[in-house]
Amino acid sequence: MTRTRKPGISRRTTLALMGGGVASLAAPWVASAQAKTIKIGMPTILSGRVAQLGTSSRNGVMIEVEKVNASGGLAGRQIEMVIRDSKGQPQEAARVARELVNTDGCELLIDAEASSGAFAVHEVARDLGVFCIHTNSETSSLTADPKQHIPNAFRTARQGVHDSIAGGNYAAAIAKAKGLKKWATCGPDYAYGRDTTGEYTTYLKRFAPDVEIISESWPKLFQPDYTEVVTKILQAKPQALYTCLWGGDLTSYIDQANIYALFSQMEVFAVNMADYTALTVVKNLPKGIHSGNRYIKTYPGTPENAAWGDAYKAKYGEYPTNWSWENATAIMLMAEAARKANSADGKKLAEAMKGLKIKSPFGADGTVTMRAEDNTLVGYAIGWGTTIPQEPYVPDVKPGDWKMIFELEAEWKKSKGFT
Amino acid sequence: MSELQAGQGAALNISDAKSTRYRDVIIALIAFVVLALLPMLTSSKFLLDFVIRCSAYGLFATSLNLLVGYTGLTSFGHGMFFGLGAYGYGLIMQKTGVPIPVAFVATLLITFVFATVIGAICVRLKEIYFAFVTLAFQMLIHSTILSWVSFTGGDQGLRGGIPRPPFLGIDLSNHLHLYIFSCALLVIGLLLMRQIAQSPFGYTLRMIRDNATRASFVGIDVYRAKLTIFVLAALFASVGGMIMALFVSGAYPEFAYWTISGEGIFINMLGGVTTFLGPMVGTVLLLILNDTVTRLTEYHGIVLGIVILFFAIGLRKGLMDFVFEWYAQRRDAARERG
Repeated sequence: MTRTRKPGISRRTTLALMGGGVASLAAPWVASAQAKTIKIGMPTILSGRVAQLGTSSRNGVMIEVEKVNASGGLAGRQIEMVIRDSKGQPQEAARVARELVNTDGCELLIDAEASSGAFAVHEVARDLGVFCIHTNSETSSLTADPKQHIPNAFRTARQGVHDSIAGGNYAAAIAKAKGLKKWATCGPDYAYGRDTTGEYTTYLKRFAPDVEIISESWPKLFQPDYTEVVTKILQAKPQALYTCLWGGDLTSYIDQANIYALFSQMEVFAVNMADYTALTVVKNLPKGIHSGNRYIKTYPGTPENAAWGDAYKAKYGEYPTNWSWENATAIMLMAEAARKANSADGKKLAEAMKGLKIKSPFGADGTVTMRAEDNTLVGYAIGWGTTIPQEPYVPDVKPGDWKMIFELEAEWKKSKGFT
Repeated sequence: MSELQAGQGAALNISDAKSTRYRDVIIALIAFVVLALLPMLTSSKFLLDFVIRCSAYGLFATSLNLLVGYTGLTSFGHGMFFGLGAYGYGLIMQKTGVPIPVAFVATLLITFVFATVIGAICVRLKEIYFAFVTLAFQMLIHSTILSWVSFTGGDQGLRGGIPRPPFLGIDLSNHLHLYIFSCALLVIGLLLMRQIAQSPFGYTLRMIRDNATRASFVGIDVYRAKLTIFVLAALFASVGGMIMALFVSGAYPEFAYWTISGEGIFINMLGGVTTFLGPMVGTVLLLILNDTVTRLTEYHGIVLGIVILFFAIGLRKGLMDFVFEWYAQRRDAARERG
């Protein structure tokens, strides 16, 4: 009997789907530009394995947007954030970014995409000429390569090469003091892992020339089981291990390596350890892991930074991530640039942004700077320390030397043919 | 298996073929004129972006239907040719700086070579074995793109934009030109695929799908026919990839990942595989769904999952299959009454 209803269902379905289609195509015209508010579009990853990237980026942005709006907005215009999921697919990131500008009337973009998504949004910014801040991509070439350079795009994220110089220098000092000559590396098998490990070992060897890499492991990104990798490293008997695993990968790795007591047999340098996403998730955080700071509220050890971390925790029920501060910095810089230019216009903002130095809880000396020559953030807190199993997790962070970073970065750029 | 049979409604005599061909050409021309006039009616860049993406995915999904619906070859790796198109075109433009039409033809040649080699191995197999070997080749190509960092840019994709030098007065960095260009490729592609589907060769494919043993007894070289359609479908998928590369001005490993093939299969389920335009309707539906749902909620996975379930379990066929059956039923009922 139900078969007789077949045509009915079809008609209704067809109508419903057509209605949906019409509604979706009509929506753009409904969203007309409101003169007073300024819309900022933000494509990011809100679903899948790295959804935390998107949620903590959003939190970082929103906490600052509320402050800016409470104090009068961007040159008198209230900010309205339009945040949309790209599912981690570059073609979706490009589509969403175009839609945000062309349809939703966003005048500025915050690109909170990772990896290839950031390059896809970069092309949209090039194409549409829209003001854009990349907040999560640490790939050095995004701003260092002059072929990528466009005057309307900036970066407020860390940069891979900065971390490698500071990390290599710190590790070399310890390697010399403790006589660590045999090293192993373990990085996730994709561009970030390969590049970061390569750059890090280059600088490690430069500062401590008798270091030798005796074992390399490249587990897959999001690999659930690290037994193979752990045993391989143990068999090679290195004196020290470098790893740039991050997030869930790093915490599973540590949990599994703990079973083999790996951490008592060698010095471990994990660049991405000192981030709350890893620190608070590991079951038994071993003492004495060396780590770069990603975000911790105790470094820089200023009241401003601690207050920012606590305010964030009070608001969202968890500590900020590395992505949080990078995104918050984007809004802080925009606000200052808008004050300076007395306008929220993208072109004027971009001009005001060049070389802009602002007070910041995340600055190595209380300030961060948008470097004029390549539109990337410098002067942010960068340092290394060792872990303890409870708060504050990394009590004593040795600050990296920005003067040295600048010198070696210039040299690196030359070697890559960027300058 | 009735829901997997394409071209049922188009059972016509070969003598009618000529008039049908004229009709198809006229429909294609009208479609192109309507699409070309669209920018005059609306200034919405969103709509133009939407049609460009429809062209890319539509060519890809319709070419997949030539395999799935017409020949009964369920390929799980069709996305590799989409990726090959995007990468081939992007790399040629970035590295050599030849005019766009040259890069287009060169990319088609590359796809032809790849598809011939891969097809020669795959089409010997049937059903699930065919599906899995195509999937394996797709993963091979995807892994190659990921690992060959110096050439393909690895997982960061082709960076720095793809140059779009003007040719024959067409400037593809102009949004409107890109739009018209994509529409033209879509309409020409669909028209060509329609001709393939309606040709004697197309009917041979249907015969192979329904009974390959009988086909070979009749004297058809089944292997050669399957290989031919595999290569032809790959070429159209490659054009889809090129449009996508033009749209995002880059190429990314995701274009050659299995999820793209999965989307192609899903589009075919959504639109239906028994009619020629089913996949095109499916493309429009999926893109509308995707764009609306992601705009409204970040839990789009749930919504799209429910839609898939509705089509797979509820309707058990695609939308165009449904519309077509409903239309046929009404026509039959009217004939009985009359």
